[in-house]
Amino acid sequence: MISCLLLERPGRWRIFGVAGLLSIAMLPSMPLLWRAATSFDAGTFVIGEAFSSALFNSAVVAFTVMFIALVVGLPIGVLAALYHVPGKKPVLVLVALPLLVPSFLWAIGWSALAARWGRTASEVLSGFAGCIIVFSATGIPLVLLTAFIVTIGLSASQVEAARLAGGERVVFRQALRHAAQPALLAASLAGVLTLSDPGPGLIFGLRSAASDILTSFSALYDFGQAGQQCVILAGVVLLVATPLAYFAAPWLATQVMPRQLLAEIPVRHRGSSFAAIVALLILVAFGILLPVTGISLPVIEADAEFERSLSEVGRTWANTLIYALGAGAMAALLGFLLAFFVGRTTRLRTVCLGICIALFSLPPALPALGLVQLAGEAEAWMDPLLRSRLTVCLALGLRFFPVAAVLGLQAWAATSSSWNWAGAIHGVPLTKYLRKVVLPFVSPTLALAVFLVGLLATADVSTVLLLHPPGQESFPLAIFTVMANAPESLAASLCLLYVAAAGGLLILVARFLNIQESL
Amino acid sequence: MRTKAPISGALLFALAIVMSCRSSETSDRGSVVIYTSVDAVFARPVAERFEQDTGIRVQLVPDTEETKSTGLLNRLIAEKKRPQADVFWSGDPVRAAILKLQGVSAPYKSPVAESLPVRFSDPEGHWTGFSARARVLIYNRDLVPEAQKPKSVMDLLDPRFRDQACIANPLFGTTSMHAAALFAVLGEEKAKAFFEGFAGNGGRILSSNGEVRRRVANGEFALGITDTDDANVARIEGKPVGMVFPDAGGMGTLVIPNCAVLIKGGPNPELGRRFIDYLLRPETEETLARSAAAQMPLRSGLSVPEGMVSIQDFNPMKVNYIKLAQILERLSRGFLKDWVNQNL
Repeated sequence: MISCLLLERPGRWRIFGVAGLLSIAMLPSMPLLWRAATSFDAGTFVIGEAFSSALFNSAVVAFTVMFIALVVGLPIGVLAALYHVPGKKPVLVLVALPLLVPSFLWAIGWSALAARWGRTASEVLSGFAGCIIVFSATGIPLVLLTAFIVTIGLSASQVEAARLAGGERVVFRQALRHAAQPALLAASLAGVLTLSDPGPGLIFGLRSAASDILTSFSALYDFGQAGQQCVILAGVVLLVATPLAYFAAPWLATQVMPRQLLAEIPVRHRGSSFAAIVALLILVAFGILLPVTGISLPVIEADAEFERSLSEVGRTWANTLIYALGAGAMAALLGFLLAFFVGRTTRLRTVCLGICIALFSLPPALPALGLVQLAGEAEAWMDPLLRSRLTVCLALGLRFFPVAAVLGLQAWAATSSSWNWAGAIHGVPLTKYLRKVVLPFVSPTLALAVFLVGLLATADVSTVLLLHPPGQESFPLAIFTVMANAPESLAASLCLLYVAAAGGLLILVARFLNIQESL
Repeated sequence: MRTKAPISGALLFALAIVMSCRSSETSDRGSVVIYTSVDAVFARPVAERFEQDTGIRVQLVPDTEETKSTGLLNRLIAEKKRPQADVFWSGDPVRAAILKLQGVSAPYKSPVAESLPVRFSDPEGHWTGFSARARVLIYNRDLVPEAQKPKSVMDLLDPRFRDQACIANPLFGTTSMHAAALFAVLGEEKAKAFFEGFAGNGGRILSSNGEVRRRVANGEFALGITDTDDANVARIEGKPVGMVFPDAGGMGTLVIPNCAVLIKGGPNPELGRRFIDYLLRPETEETLARSAAAQMPLRSGLSVPEGMVSIQDFNPMKVNYIKLAQILERLSRGFLKDWVNQNL
């Protein structure tokens, strides 16, 4: 019988476990990274002036998005969690919508809207401004939802104590402080996510590292050069992520105390509730309604083609769901396994966080094309693993595994060590302890990881395009393959249907996760 | 209650795995896998007709715009050792030529192609050209009077169109092919002067040809260069746009034929050849001519919609498509990349 104390025991097995899991996460990228290494030539090394300036532009966008997401998302998330807000659930579902939609769809919406407003509006939106607006639309919900979830995790006694000490202002300030570190981590992930996405940069005319990498792939077909650029990008991210990981790691280790188990209940407070709902509505209007208006203008001016669009939905909905759920489950499994191996070791946690953030910056084409190459070299009997819908789930899961890893590290570290000791003293086998004590405790976070990764994976068109088995498209991919030259009304109908389907999916998932209880 | 969600999730995931493994049969005796860079709205109806006429199942894998994600050509190159595709239906000959250079394609000279003009196909049979688009000038009729409509791509440098002209990113798609053609026809110096002059005249680089169509149609720009299918879509939508086949009296208009490419080592080469034969039939050219893409048949004497410009009605640019692919590779690493970096 294996004792529960194994969970508290240090040792090399943790390092080997962590190294093994991170290697699995890196595995799909290895073929192209190998090609980058073998095609390395110091004389023509890609980090010339051009790539440096693209990298600088990307860094400016990433930091600005990080800042905006933190400054806007953190207070609104805390307010929404602390106070009773009428219609909170549908509004929060709407706020999360941009996570489910590829960024270039929002960019097209803004671009179309600006075109209607005139040349000056287009000029204002071109370059940094447009990119920052579009990426912030994804970054803010990520931070807001993180802050919200962390704040609803506060215990009723903690909130009550702060309220007695100094009223609502102190409650808000303390809750902000409590949620700041996880929100910063979420903002960093949002910032890093901008580094691998070329769409908005190309639409708004801003050179970015991602657009340079895309050029290497799609204009030069030079996998070696693209791989080298990816390594440089990941290296820069790692440099920035290391101090961040150092500061964030201790927060992830906060253990839950028995007295904290009674959750905080949102209260009615006129001023704060009003502020929260107004802020949420402004966010919905600015982040969703405006770009959706831009997208839907052709439908208003011409006949919508919903019938044809619905047939696309009918053809692709099952794959979309499988890819999202599969990716979520895969990422959650790996993320929580990583958390198991890390345990309470702060140094390992710091290293893992830094590497996870750097991994997140890699463009999706790198692992996807790596997997395609692996499949091409493998025997046919490997096809169920390397050339099926499972492959898409694997690739998407590995791409978004850092999100699940952060959540897993936090959830695992929050388990109390006294539980492990109690289990060991009473002779509870490890497997039973994990099943009866740890799993129920971490299951809400586990479900959240599946949900979040599923959302992000749905919006990733590149991976699905490169890996889906013939005839097994997802709905987002189906839309983007007809968007280029289709009549505007058809493209707009498809996009609107996608936004509606995304909203519907969010509501379904929210019901599935029983989020209502938390609200 | 708390454990219900993960248990249900696990069950769903198990279902997904079962369905995933089942889907691994990518092609059996009765199906053919077609990758295509032709827009799905135009390619799918042809594939469906092939299914109806032959009973062979088509698994179509369409591409997205390359400026927004890494496209299918990369997938074909990465799959080279054990391809999944039988045929690549390319929207332009440069992509087809790249596949030949990368060793992805196999030669196939279809008997149906005998009536097609040979100058739009690879002499060794690695790709065969059929229905074509052309690179045209699109202008907004509300902003440009009929008498002053542009006649040449050089008009993009005219001061009367200062800050009013746009093109798509010349590193990608048919615009990159057009750039290479300008270098081939005009020569290095004049072509560079064209691009510098365009930027100097306040010309803008947009993300795609579709974007050029939209923004000219909306009146944000007076004119731009795009493909005939884009211009035709704007015309069908009732936008105030006009289309000009440029340089009738000079270097001519660049013609972009579709190309059928047989993939080397594809799982079903025989069915792949049958699909290529089907694509190259006069009937397919007529179907594509009648579609919203308004693709011009390369054969003469076919039934096409009334008023459609045929390839015999204008002066096609004389280019060697294989050389264009080589020029493009050099330009994409050098001049064009620098030019886009400076002017995007």
